Amino acid sequence: MSVARTAVGAEAAALGPLQSFLADFWSSEGLSEAERFPFELALEEVFMNIVMHGSQGLTGVRAVVALEHVDQAFTLTVSDTGNPFDPLAAPPPDTEAAMEDRPIGGLGIYLIRTMMDVVEYRHEDGHNVLVMHKRLGAEPA
Amino acid sequence: MNITNDTDNKTTTIHVAGRLDFEAAGAFQKEIESAVAAAAAAGNALIIDCAGLEYVSSAGLRVFLVGARAAKGGSVPFAVYALTAAVKEVFEVSGFGRIIDVLNDRAGALEKVGRTA
Repeated sequence: MSVARTAVGAEAAALGPLQSFLADFWSSEGLSEAERFPFELALEEVFMNIVMHGSQGLTGVRAVVALEHVDQAFTLTVSDTGNPFDPLAAPPPDTEAAMEDRPIGGLGIYLIRTMMDVVEYRHEDGHNVLVMHKRLGAEPA
Repeated sequence: MNITNDTDNKTTTIHVAGRLDFEAAGAFQKEIESAVAAAAAAGNALIIDCAGLEYVSSAGLRVFLVGARAAKGGSVPFAVYALTAAVKEVFEVSGFGRIIDVLNDRAGALEKVGRTA
């Protein structure tokens, strides 16, 4: 089992360093590059949500990103000190809607839920904690 | 992210390469909006070559939607082609593959927008 974690301020400029943090850990674990994508995507969607919404009306919001590789599974956990927000409580977007009826946005959490095996939210000690888990090496659906 | 474009045979092609994330989405949106305006004025079609596009997030995806809507509004035939596996997955999961014409290759895209290959 390997774990890594890092803490950053909830600012858009931290997204690049966070992606590097994930990419470096991923390659140090010898994992397939092709399988990193769902985690890159989840990291951006969740972190930018904290930056844009979770920090509203607050200053000094922090986010902790934890990575865990155990056997053939990977877990990304993002916790933050922002406004309490359960992304899993949001209704799914209507992916059947016509172009004219599409709200611009609201897709990020839907993409994560579809691409991950397990997504769990809890509010704990004043922190939002979002856990995203996926088995690796699975045959594409 | 790297964006270039060229125009030939009444068709403008935007070649988009690299990572289309939150940070890159603004530049891509400017590019696609000005290309749609120019194509509408010239009566050209607009196709997006995604062969070099390695990554797209929801922020990037919504630029494709903005572009497709603008193209429709300006009566500009519009299609995207040569999606990599990761980008294709995002298009499929989001349902964008049903509202934007996605073709496997350039020949298919040209045919879709009414231009011969």
